[in-house]
Amino acid sequence: MNIWQQITKKRSFEDSSVLESILSYLILGIWAFICIFPIYWVLVTSVKEPHVVNQGPFYIPFVDFQPSLHAWEFVFMQESMNTLRPFFNTVIISLISAFITLLIGSMAGYALVRIHYRPKIVSIACFILILILAILLITRMGLDWRMVLTSGTAIFLLFIFTLSRRFKASLGNNDIGFWMISQRILPPVVVVIPVYIFYQQLGILDTYLAMVITYVAINIPIVVWLMRDFFFSIPVDLEENAALDGASRYRIFTTIVLPLTKPGLSATFMLVLILCWNEYLLSLFISMTDTQTLPLMIASMNTTRGPQWWYMSVIIILMIIPVIMIALFLYRFIVRGLLVGAIKG
Amino acid sequence: MFKLRNKMISGIVIAVVTLLFTIPAVHAKKYDGVTVNILTMEAPQIKGPMVKRAPDFKKLTGATVNIIGVPFADIYPKMEADFATGTNSIDGAVFAPQWMVDFIEPGYLEDLTSKVKADSAIEWDDIGYFFRSFSSTYGGKIYTIPLDGDFHMIYYRTDLLDAAGISPPTTWEEYTYIASRFHGQDMNGDGTPDYGSCISKKRNAQAYWMILSVAGGFIQAKGTGEGMFFDTKTMKPLVNNEAFSRALDIYKETTKYAPPDEINLDVGDTRGLWTAGRCALTLDWGDIGTLAIEKGSKVKGKTGAAILPGSRKVLDRSSGKLVSCDRARCPYAVNGVNHAPFAAYGGWSGAINTASSARVKDAAYDFFSYMAQAKQSNVDVTIGITGMNPYRVSQFENLSNWTNAGFSKASAENYLGAIKASLNSPNMILDLRVPKNQRYQQVVLDTEVHRFLSGEISKQEAMQRIEDGWEEVTEEMGRDGQLNAYRNTLGY
Amino acid sequence: MTQPNSIEEHLDRQAPTVFIMPAVLVVLCFSIFPLIVSLFVALSRLKFVKGGIEAKYIGFLNFKKLLFGSQQYHFLGKFDQLTTTGYVIMSVFVILILVWFYRYFKSINFSLVGTIGRFVVATGLFFLLMLTLINLTTPKGLPGTLVVTLTYVILGVIFQFLIGLGLALLCVKKIRGRSFFRMVFFIPMMITPVGIAYLFRMLTDMTKGPFAPVVMWLGFEETSWAVIPWGARIAVMIGDAWQWIPFMFIILLAGLESLPTEQKEAAIMDGAGSWQIFRDITWPTLLPVSVTIILIRLIEAFKIIDLPNVMTNGGPGIATESLSLHSYFNWRTMDLSGSAAVGYLLMVVAVFICLSFVSLVKKRIEIAQQ
Repeated sequence: MNIWQQITKKRSFEDSSVLESILSYLILGIWAFICIFPIYWVLVTSVKEPHVVNQGPFYIPFVDFQPSLHAWEFVFMQESMNTLRPFFNTVIISLISAFITLLIGSMAGYALVRIHYRPKIVSIACFILILILAILLITRMGLDWRMVLTSGTAIFLLFIFTLSRRFKASLGNNDIGFWMISQRILPPVVVVIPVYIFYQQLGILDTYLAMVITYVAINIPIVVWLMRDFFFSIPVDLEENAALDGASRYRIFTTIVLPLTKPGLSATFMLVLILCWNEYLLSLFISMTDTQTLPLMIASMNTTRGPQWWYMSVIIILMIIPVIMIALFLYRFIVRGLLVGAIKG
Repeated sequence: MFKLRNKMISGIVIAVVTLLFTIPAVHAKKYDGVTVNILTMEAPQIKGPMVKRAPDFKKLTGATVNIIGVPFADIYPKMEADFATGTNSIDGAVFAPQWMVDFIEPGYLEDLTSKVKADSAIEWDDIGYFFRSFSSTYGGKIYTIPLDGDFHMIYYRTDLLDAAGISPPTTWEEYTYIASRFHGQDMNGDGTPDYGSCISKKRNAQAYWMILSVAGGFIQAKGTGEGMFFDTKTMKPLVNNEAFSRALDIYKETTKYAPPDEINLDVGDTRGLWTAGRCALTLDWGDIGTLAIEKGSKVKGKTGAAILPGSRKVLDRSSGKLVSCDRARCPYAVNGVNHAPFAAYGGWSGAINTASSARVKDAAYDFFSYMAQAKQSNVDVTIGITGMNPYRVSQFENLSNWTNAGFSKASAENYLGAIKASLNSPNMILDLRVPKNQRYQQVVLDTEVHRFLSGEISKQEAMQRIEDGWEEVTEEMGRDGQLNAYRNTLGY
Repeated sequence: MTQPNSIEEHLDRQAPTVFIMPAVLVVLCFSIFPLIVSLFVALSRLKFVKGGIEAKYIGFLNFKKLLFGSQQYHFLGKFDQLTTTGYVIMSVFVILILVWFYRYFKSINFSLVGTIGRFVVATGLFFLLMLTLINLTTPKGLPGTLVVTLTYVILGVIFQFLIGLGLALLCVKKIRGRSFFRMVFFIPMMITPVGIAYLFRMLTDMTKGPFAPVVMWLGFEETSWAVIPWGARIAVMIGDAWQWIPFMFIILLAGLESLPTEQKEAAIMDGAGSWQIFRDITWPTLLPVSVTIILIRLIEAFKIIDLPNVMTNGGPGIATESLSLHSYFNWRTMDLSGSAAVGYLLMVVAVFICLSFVSLVKKRIEIAQQ
C-alpha cells in the first residue's frame, strides 16, 4: 500500500489510524499549551521586577532576565497579615459553604427525582405574598403605597408568565427545578445592596455566618441541577427493594443512594468549592476586616498606580495552588464519578 | 496585739493595691484603649505609610489604629453604604476630597475647623494655599486633612529636548509639536521606535482627568474661584464651546503620536512606558518624578517636569468663543500664556465620621494630624511607593530630603520648581466636587470622550452629549441644590 | 413484621417535605428579598440623607430612560435603516415563524395558553433579531450593551460547546496521556474570574505581553486590538472561552465515556461510516447532557463582567460593555436605581432566552427520547 493508505488504515474501530493519532495528539497538544501557557506567564511574572515587566516580554528566567523574589517577599513577609488572614478566610468559608450546599442541595435534588411534587399555584402565590408582607412589616421602610401595588402586581405577573403553559392548578418538579436555576440569572451587582441592608439589620455583617449563608443560597441551584442527573442513573429497584424491607426514606438516602453517587458528589463539591472560592462582589460588601477573602486581594492590586502585575501574579498563584491540590485529591472520584453518573438528563 | 497586726496588714495591702492602681494611671496615655478604624485603598500606596506609622502613633498616644483596605474602585460605595445604612463601622476614611460633598450634605462628616485651629503641631499654614483653602473646605468649613497633594504636570525627556535645543512646552500647541517631532525615534536605545506622547486614555480609569487638564487652560483664567465646569450663576455646563472643542482637537491629536493602544492604557501602563524610556512627553500626577529615580528606570536624571501647558486664548463665557488673553482677561498669565494647573482628584485626605464617639474622633484627628505633620509627611512624599506627593511649602523648599531619596540636585530643583510653580499658581483648578460628581465625570464625560476618541461619534456630537448628560444629572439632583453646592466649593 | 414506631412513620411520611424544604426555603428567602427591594429601587430614585436612604417613587422613568431616553444609545445602541440583506433575513425569519405556528395549529395540543406563549416567544425573538441586525449590519448602527451581551452569550456558548465537544471526542479515544490531558484541561476553570481577567490583560498587552513580538512580526504594530470594536470583543470572548471550555469538555467527556461500545461496533459491522455513527448513536445520547450544560452556561454567560471590565473597561467607546458591566458602572457611582433597572432588564432578557431555549429544545428532546 502507499503511504496514504498506510497512515489511514485502522486495525479495529477503537484504534485510531496513524494519521488520526498524530492529528489527535497535535490538537490536544496545542490546546494543552493554550491552557498552560498563561499559567506559566503568571509564574514568570511573579518573579519579575517592575522595570522588567514594563520593558517588554521576557520569557525565560535566568536566560532573558534576572528573576527576583521581591514580589513573593512582599506578599508573604511585609503584607503577611493582609494575605494570610484572607487566605485562611477563603479556605474556611469555601469548605464550609461547599459542604452545607452539597448536603442541602443533594437532598433536594434527590427529592426532585424520586418524589413527585404538585405544589398548587394558589398556595405558592399566597405563600410568597405573605412572605412579602412579612418583609415589608419587618423593614418598615415607609414605602409609598403605589410602589407596593406596582411591584406586587409586577411580581405576580412575573410568576404568571413563568407558569403560563401549565394552566392546571399545580406545578411539577421541572418547574421547581427551573425556578431554582433561574435564581442564578440576576447579576450580583443588583443584589448586593439589599443583601447588605438585610444583614446589617440582622447585625451579622462581616461574620462567617453571613458569608456562608450567602454562598450556600446562591449555589444550591447548581448543586440541585447537577445532582439530579446523577441520581437519575441509580436504578429505582434498589431503592424499592429497600423500601419493601421497611427502610425509611432517610435510610435509603444515606445508606444506598449517597454511597453510589460518591463520585458525582465529589465532582459537584469541586465545582461549588471553586465557585465559592472565586466569588468577589458579595464578599467585598459583606466583609470588612474579619472575613475578607482572596479575590479581593487580587482586585486590590489594581491601585491608582495601575495594576501591580507582580504582586497580582503571586496572589493568583496562591489562589490556584490549594484548588489544584484538592482537585488532585478528588481526581480519582471525579473521573469515576463522571463516568458512572451516566448523565441521561 | 492581734488587732494591731491585722490593721497593719490590711493597711499595707490597701497601700500596695492603691499603688498598683495609680502607677498605670501615672503612665496612662491619652487614648489608651481606643480603637480607630480607618478605611482607605488597599494598596502599598497611601495605606502603606499609614500602617507603617500606626505603631509609632500607638506608642505616643496609646490608640490602636486599624487601617482597612478595599479595592480603589470600591471605596466610595463602601463608605456610602456604611454611613447611609447607619452601620458606622468606620471612624475615618482616607479618600478623594472630591467626593466629600456627597458625604457632607447628608451630614456624615465631622467639621474639623475648630480642631485644626486648636492644633499647632499640624502647621496648617505650611500646607499649600490651595490645599488648605479649597481642597479641605466646603462652605468655609474644614472637613478633611490633606495627606497628599494631587495635581497634574507634564513631564519631558530633558536629554531629548536639550539635544534639540527646545525648551519645555508652555502651550498645548507646543506640546503637540514636540510630540510630533520626536514620535518614531528610538528613545531608549533598544532599536524599536518610540512614542512622542503617552497619555492615559483608558475608559473608566483616569482618562477623564486628562482631558480636563488639557481643557483647563482654555477655560479658567481668573483664579480658582472662577471654576471651569459650570457657569456660577446658572449651572450651565461649560463644555459645548470653542474652548472645549479646541481641547478635544488637541487631545485627539496627541493620539497620533502615541502608542497604538493608547486609548486602552491606564496610568499604570503609561508610567511603565515612561520609566522604560519609551515616551518623549507625558501628562500625569507627581508620581512620575519619584518613579523615574527607582531601580531599573531608564530615565533617571532625564526626567524634567513643567507646569501644565496653557493657552494664549481663553473662553469668553458669554459668547462661547475663544478670545486672546489680555491683562484683564488673564490676570495670572505668564508671558501671555494662561496656565491653569489642575488639582485632579484633590489629593488623598482624611475625614472623620460624625457618628463615632468623641474620644474616637479626637484620636482619629490626632492620627491624621500626625501623618500630616512635617516631620512625617516631608519624608513620605519623597518616597515613590508611599503614593504621597508634595503639598506642603516646606516640602519643596528643603532639597536635602529629596537628594537623600535619590534625586540628583538638578532633577530635584527641576521637579520641585514645577511643583512650586503649580502650587503657587492662583489659577489652580479645583476638581469638580458637587454631589454625584462621579456621574458628571465618570459616567458622562468619560464615556462620551472615549466614544469620540474611538471614532464612534463626532466632536460636535460628543460636546452636545456631554452638555445634555450634565444637564440631565443637574436636573435630576435638583438645579438649585447643585448650584449652591458648586458655589460653596468655590468659596462663595 | 413489627408495627413501625408511629414517630418514625410520621417522619417518613414527612420525608418529601424534609428533603426539599431546606433548599427551597433558603433560596426563597434569600432571593425574594433582594428581588423585591431591587424592584422598588428600580422604580424609584434614591437619595442619601442623614439617617438613611430616601426613596422617591418615580414609576417606570428609569426604564423609559434606558429604552427611549438619554441612555438608549447605551442600552439599545444606535439605529439605522436595515440593508437589503437585513430585510431578507427578517423575511426568512418571519416565514419560519409562520410555518411554526401553522404546524402548531394543526397539531393536537392546541390551546390558548400555548398560542399566547408561542406568540410571546415569536415577538421577542423577532425584536431581538431585528435589533441585532440593525446594530451590527447597518453602516451607521452601533450596538448597545444589550446586543453586545447577546453576542457574547450566543456566539460564545456555541463556540465553547463546539470546541469542548471536539476536544472530548478526541480525548475519548484510547490515547496515552489521557489523564494528563484531562487534568490540564481542567485548570483554566479553577482560576478566579478576576484573576483570569487580569491574566488576559497581561497576555494581550501590545507592549509588554508575550505576544507582542508575534504581532510585530506580523506587521500589526501600528494598530491594536483594543482600538477596534470587534477586536476588543473577540479578545473578551477568547478569554471567556478559555475559562469555560473546560466545563463543557469535562462533562461531555463523561457523557461520551458512558456510551456502550457494543452499539458502535454493531453499527460498524453493518458498514456505517464514522459520521453516521456520530449522528445516529453518539449525538442522541449526548443531547440531554448538552442541553443541560448549555442552559447552565447560557445563564452564567449573561452575567459576564470581569473580563470586559478589566481588559478594556468597557471600551473602546462602549463596544465591549456587557449588561452586567453597565449595571456595575451605574452602581459604582451610587446610581442604584439605574443599576437595578439595567439588572431587571437583563433578567427579563435572560429569562426569555432561557425559557425559549428550554421550551423549544428540551421538550423536543424529551419527547424524542420517549
